[in-house]
Amino acid sequence: MNAREQELQALKVENARLNKINQALIERVEAGSGLSSSPYASFEQAAALAEQVKARTAELTHLNEQLLQEISDRKRIEGWLLEAKQDAEQANLSKTRFLAAVSHDLLQPLNAARLFTSALEEQPLDTGLQHLVRSVSHSLADVEYLLSTLVDISKLDAGVIQPDLSVFTLRDLLDNLAAEYRQVARSERIEFCYVACSVPVQTDLHLLARILRNFLANAMRYTPPGGKVLLGCRRQSGVVVVQVLDTGPGIPEDKLGMIFQEFQRLEPNPANHRDQGLGLGLAIVDRMARMLKHPVSVRSCLQRGSMFSVTLPLAPEGQFPQLRTAVGTLPRLQLSGARIWVLDNDLSICEGMERLLHTWGCGVRTAQHAEGLDLLLSQERALPDVLVVDYHLSAGVSGLDLVQNLQQKTGVELPVLVITANHSHQLKAEVKQRGYQLLYKPVKPLRLRQLLVHLLKIASDR
Amino acid sequence: MYAETLNNAAVDGACALSEISPPVLTAASSAADPFKAARELAGTLHHPDLDRVVFFCSAEYNLPQLAEALNQVFSGVPLSGCTTAGELTPDGYACGSIVALGFHRNFFHLNAALIQPLDGFALAEAQQLINRLLQSDHPHRADWRHFALTLFDGLSSQEELVLAALDAALGSTPHFGGSAGDDIHLTNTHVFHDGAFHTQAAVVILVETSLPFDVFTTHHMQPLDSKLVVTEADPLTRRVSELNAEPAAEAYARLIGLTPEQLTPDIFALHPLAVKLGQDYYVRSIQRVNPDLSLDFYCAVGKGSVLTRMQPQAMLQDLETCLSDIESRIGQPLITLGCDCFLRRLESEQRGEREQTSAFLAKHRVIGFNTYGEHHAGLHVNQTFTGVVLGRGKVEKE
Repeated sequence: MNAREQELQALKVENARLNKINQALIERVEAGSGLSSSPYASFEQAAALAEQVKARTAELTHLNEQLLQEISDRKRIEGWLLEAKQDAEQANLSKTRFLAAVSHDLLQPLNAARLFTSALEEQPLDTGLQHLVRSVSHSLADVEYLLSTLVDISKLDAGVIQPDLSVFTLRDLLDNLAAEYRQVARSERIEFCYVACSVPVQTDLHLLARILRNFLANAMRYTPPGGKVLLGCRRQSGVVVVQVLDTGPGIPEDKLGMIFQEFQRLEPNPANHRDQGLGLGLAIVDRMARMLKHPVSVRSCLQRGSMFSVTLPLAPEGQFPQLRTAVGTLPRLQLSGARIWVLDNDLSICEGMERLLHTWGCGVRTAQHAEGLDLLLSQERALPDVLVVDYHLSAGVSGLDLVQNLQQKTGVELPVLVITANHSHQLKAEVKQRGYQLLYKPVKPLRLRQLLVHLLKIASDR
Repeated sequence: MYAETLNNAAVDGACALSEISPPVLTAASSAADPFKAARELAGTLHHPDLDRVVFFCSAEYNLPQLAEALNQVFSGVPLSGCTTAGELTPDGYACGSIVALGFHRNFFHLNAALIQPLDGFALAEAQQLINRLLQSDHPHRADWRHFALTLFDGLSSQEELVLAALDAALGSTPHFGGSAGDDIHLTNTHVFHDGAFHTQAAVVILVETSLPFDVFTTHHMQPLDSKLVVTEADPLTRRVSELNAEPAAEAYARLIGLTPEQLTPDIFALHPLAVKLGQDYYVRSIQRVNPDLSLDFYCAVGKGSVLTRMQPQAMLQDLETCLSDIESRIGQPLITLGCDCFLRRLESEQRGEREQTSAFLAKHRVIGFNTYGEHHAGLHVNQTFTGVVLGRGKVEKE
């Protein structure tokens, strides 16, 4: 009994103790984390705050790390992109160089082949052979055209060609073009209309001529026999719009944007038997127009026809057209009897030139280097009427230097025609400054003849 | 010409001196005579470019005399400090001595303020005080950063409320500090400000520096399963009369397998109690056993709070991990200003690791004192090590 009472007593005490603990905990829980001003509550609140700050800091640190990671990823990608861009630019540059080199190497033999075939055409041949020779000549002309187109586009891409602005009367150019394409139109049985316009404009004559030639060639190519092609101008405030209209099949609206891209061609008029081109013409036009900052536009209506136009700035006030003597309008002088010296390090070119010039009745002597020239000088009794010089002789030797030497030795200023594949501004300016004529490779026989005639005329006018 | 050369030489000499002088100078003296001790400190710390000297001294010194001596030798240099329960000197643990840090003004600017009295110090006062410290006349440099150091009278029992107010005012400025001790006498703890020692007071020092730094806290405790519920406590005196509805000393002694008569500071150091708040445990150290078997604590304990028995782990290993982690962030350390709970020193003495710990602290160039409580981020805790590691930073020619 006593033991049980003791046990009971112990349990009562234990119960009271537990009650008290319970009571303390209840009080504590009910006080919660309210705004108590007791030191311990204050400590608890500070600890809770510290805990929150720690959690937030961890979160933010994590986020910050993620962002830093993202930034470094982006930087790395940016680096890769930059590298890739540099690689691409490098590749593009080497492509351009390759094209320039290949085209130069291809143009040399092609040049020779053209000279040979031209010489051959001048020979009295029987009809069958004449036909074959003409075909060869045409094929070579096509190859030359394609090649020069490719070279042009690569040059435009590489930024080698720079506009050479001058002020001239638009009519000077358009008259020539009209005359040229009136012939073509006639042979294609297309009606050609030309409305002249004599405003002075400021642009690069040669680039503009190429743009318009392209428009006209396209118009001729796509216009069926019996159709019409019109070349005309429209003057607006401060500008003049040169337009080429045709009555061809027109261009579907969804293809309008595409035609200025490379290798894009529409089906040409099947009636036009002779059709060449890689679909690069308008791509070149686009590049040239962009370089000149002349807007090019096209409007078209299916089954009705198309209009291509280029907008040029008028010449600034007070600037007057330079007096030009258009080469194509020169009177045709006889070349026969003219003494011409050809200086070219390529033997086959020398031979080709010799044959061709012979057929025109010229007396030709050739030299391949400075020593050869000296030899001619010592052998010949008279100086030539015209000196035809390749600009780039063997490595490091400029044809211009040789000419200068010759003139110093003889004390005579000879009419000089410089032949080159180098389209640089610098050379052009230098040749112009010395009063020489420039002819680019591949040499077109007709152009060669015109220039020779021009030089001889100037010489005789003196 | 000759005079000019001389002048240049003098200027060059001055430059060379300030270049070779380190950003923080340290000095210690174990001389018992306050004047001798002060002279010894000044001999090492003497430098024209001191921004402020912070010192920690044993409460054994005749404090009015020490104040007079320090004011004499450091005339013109502002002084801040407090009494200790042991000093952390360049040679490790020391007792009955004084240790001091001199801060070079090319790298530091320290502003200090006294809080006295401590009761009634609330957020409004805290904000005013911190704003005053921030508005220093020192030309503010964009890349200099702040941290705050608090020194409290360790027997004021006011740390929690004042620290909470300061913490709110400090915002994101890192903060640490310690409560002044008196070698376990529990009678005579002081803080030093403006040329004199004060009780029922605290000193707040706002440190602005160009050097990299990291304010940290660490402890080496793991929780055990046993718990005690505080069933009676006086929050203002930090006195707990009952644990688990029993006299507090009895309940605690039984928990650790002893009798109330056997309870001493060494035992408290080896068998700490902590409250768990959130995920963290905060040690509440027992200060003493009263005759009525109630327990006084070094920091606030509330009725209804649950105390968990803690098991100390390897102290130095924990500290080593903490410090090397900081070094990986801020580079090679210059010096560490540390507030080390005096119970930790007792613990290492009990375990016979005093020399080892002392050598470790000396090796890591920890200068500071043994506290009656540590402050970190506005919290008042016990049996921790808190402080700031100052990095060397870039070698800068000023």
